[in-house]
Amino acid sequence: MAGGGGGGDGEPEFQVAPMIDVLLVLLIFFMSITSAQVLKVDKNIKLPVALHGVKRDDKAAAGLINISWDASTGQAKYKLDDRELDINDKDGIAKELAARKGTNEKFRLLIRADRQCQAKFISKALEWGAEAGIDNIAFSGLNRDE
Amino acid sequence: MRQPPQEAPADAGFQIAPMIDVVFVIMLFFMVMAGAVKVEHELKTTLPGNAETAKETEMPDEVTIGVAENGQITINEDSVGQPQDRELEGLFNEMTKMAQAAKQSKTKLLITVQAEEAARYERVINVLDVLARADISNVTFAVAEPE
Repeated sequence: MAGGGGGGDGEPEFQVAPMIDVLLVLLIFFMSITSAQVLKVDKNIKLPVALHGVKRDDKAAAGLINISWDASTGQAKYKLDDRELDINDKDGIAKELAARKGTNEKFRLLIRADRQCQAKFISKALEWGAEAGIDNIAFSGLNRDE
Repeated sequence: MRQPPQEAPADAGFQIAPMIDVVFVIMLFFMVMAGAVKVEHELKTTLPGNAETAKETEMPDEVTIGVAENGQITINEDSVGQPQDRELEGLFNEMTKMAQAAKQSKTKLLITVQAEEAARYERVINVLDVLARADISNVTFAVAEPE
């Protein structure tokens, strides 16, 4: 796209073509890093800050449990990915998680809970994981405060 | 009657200046967005009691970090820092010392984070974040049964 530089001893002219090249490269760079990092989180969940955690690996297999917190009732709501879970159906949830895990030993359970959620509600999700034979647990947080 | 000669349509051509304007605006937008992007981080743990029994196991240095309902953190039942302290420098210093001691004595350091039932998730994450900062990876998480 850009033309070659001119020779001669005269004062160099302002070249528009190489500037456009650089601009487009920068544009593509910022576009790619912005769109690659868009976070899809349940809006009811306010995640805590975890500065020193590792960046989430989207390619690694994981069962994602979203736990939202209702401060007025003091109860938590569970979702496996986007589907709401019936907490009384412990066996059904464990079976589904076990089916997702299959023979993948690296499969992990990713807990994404609201910062106000009580530990006993997280414990329930861990029980489902234990029942499904998943012992790799990862807790989710954000790189910066909301 | 003689008609006046028609003017040829002016060639608009490719205008570089407006294109540069637009590209600048788009680039500024993405630059600002890139700075404000929130990225999800993971803190990895395991469930307690998943050691392989077939192998001969070395006894690790086991440390229990308690997370109380009010946010108070304890190391083997000794209080560390204040309940509202988010940085948890005291815990970080203790954990770093323990990790170094374990490295020197070539033993494994096993940390169990034990939260009270009503402890907040945020406080648990604060503790796990400090452990990640101290480069301790052998962490299990459990919730204490009520007495």
